[in-house]
Amino acid sequence: MDKFRDCGDIKKDLRYLYTVQFWVFLVSRNANRGERKSRERERGAMAEDLVLDTAIRDWVLIPLSVVMVLIGVLRYFVSKLMRSAQIPDAKLVKEGQVIVRARNLRAAANFIPPKSFRARRLYYSNEENGLLYVPKGQAPNAQAQMFSDPNMAMDMMKKNLSMIIPQTLTFAWVNFFFSGFVAAKIPFPLTQRFRAMLQNGIDLSTVDVSYVSSRSWYFLNLFGLRGLFSIILGEENATDDTQRMMQMTGFGFDPTKPGC
Amino acid sequence: MVTKSEEDQLNRLEAQVDNAGGGAWEYLCLVRKLKVRRPDKVLKHGLAILNDSKKRSALGTEEWTLCEQVAVAAMDCQSLDVAKDCIKVLRKRFPDSKRVGRLEGMLLEAKGLWAEAEKAYSSFLEDNPFDQVIHKRRVALAKAQGNITTAIECLNKYLDTFMADHDAWRELAEIYISLQMYKQAAFCYEELILSQPTNPLHHLAYADVLYTIGGLENLQAAKKYYASTINLTGGKNRRALFGVCLCTSAIGQLSKGRNKEDKDSPELQLLAVAALEKDYKQRAPGKLPLLTSALKSLRVSS
Repeated sequence: MDKFRDCGDIKKDLRYLYTVQFWVFLVSRNANRGERKSRERERGAMAEDLVLDTAIRDWVLIPLSVVMVLIGVLRYFVSKLMRSAQIPDAKLVKEGQVIVRARNLRAAANFIPPKSFRARRLYYSNEENGLLYVPKGQAPNAQAQMFSDPNMAMDMMKKNLSMIIPQTLTFAWVNFFFSGFVAAKIPFPLTQRFRAMLQNGIDLSTVDVSYVSSRSWYFLNLFGLRGLFSIILGEENATDDTQRMMQMTGFGFDPTKPGC
Repeated sequence: MVTKSEEDQLNRLEAQVDNAGGGAWEYLCLVRKLKVRRPDKVLKHGLAILNDSKKRSALGTEEWTLCEQVAVAAMDCQSLDVAKDCIKVLRKRFPDSKRVGRLEGMLLEAKGLWAEAEKAYSSFLEDNPFDQVIHKRRVALAKAQGNITTAIECLNKYLDTFMADHDAWRELAEIYISLQMYKQAAFCYEELILSQPTNPLHHLAYADVLYTIGGLENLQAAKKYYASTINLTGGKNRRALFGVCLCTSAIGQLSKGRNKEDKDSPELQLLAVAALEKDYKQRAPGKLPLLTSALKSLRVSS
């Protein structure tokens, strides 16, 4: 059925990725240093450390975080209100329970006599009327089902809207009000590649890439407040955008084909 | 399942509350959380809180949960007037609630009006065919009427849809044992072991059923399950120790005529006997001679 990547494989990939990144970072840093030194020699010493006004902290960083938290809480309550009372489908409920039971069978198979295990296994995977038996090619494609069922499609639409609209509005608000100045300094040095992403409103190309605009603070908050929301709103909250974004890419999943 | 620490806490709170030491609300919350059945205490202390208007307003919205808990306890203690009052209060507060409707159905059951209760439950199930609690109440209704076959039917239908509900499997197993349908009970216990393999009670019950069915294979399996119970409880379960001794002697009796090719080593029985004797010496030294004579008779026949 599923083919789970071995933990060792993932670790190996991550290690490789980190080594490559580290080398890139080192090389670019040296290049930067060289470039900066050459520029300094040209124009004389330049003040590398910008002193940022504390007013920026008081009036930009903190209000932005507070606003994002409040918007998240608002979205949570709105989604709670808008959630229609779902009448569970009979087939779905039964399927869910069958899966739990079959999973228990697989997990604890050593604890029951072999005859009863074989009887149960046959009950599930029997070709004629096994509960879990799915003939090849007939498995309902999850994505097709998603669009054909009108209720589910409406729910998906609502959830997506409730995610997209606040994000767009907040982003526009940040861009309109909080652009054109340096908002924060990232404590670790970065390469020049990040300049386009983090310094959108700052039109000076000589400022260190560590000095970022408020757009990057917005993105930092967007991904970082997930943990805060799960503490204050409990585990199931509608603000888990990243999870849903990951879900949206994972369709086209056919359970009968091996190696999914 | 209630853990040891929770059990200790419950007993401590119970003692504290009985001696008028306050803490009644914590006790009631713990009872509700652990789902233990203490109707008399819940009724006494819950009613004390509800009748005292100061304490009642201190609860806020929890007042209604307490009302429900007291109503159920009152029905358990057969004080139906108290229950009716509580339910009336709840109905006034929540006019369209299914939960209150369920309580009213339970009250009809408690009064013995089976037909009306059955009608009420069926109407609830029409609205929402997936309400697990109402299904279970119907089974309880059939069982209370003494109609065990209907109860089994309802429970089987329920388990057809909700097959991962281990409480229902346990109930079905107990019903089968009461009807002496041991093979079916064994199936139910297998389900329980599958869903909770580390719970020694299920192993023990399964071993008991296997021992009762009899036959060489089942006795050997029963011995294995008694052994696994001993393993899971760290050797403290006296019933499993006795079970091992009985199984070994029964197996020995059955296989007396055959050759002793696949006879298990008698070590297990000797260990169990030693553990039992040590336990009895510690806790009930007066009964030790009884134990030794009983065990000796078992060993003689093996």
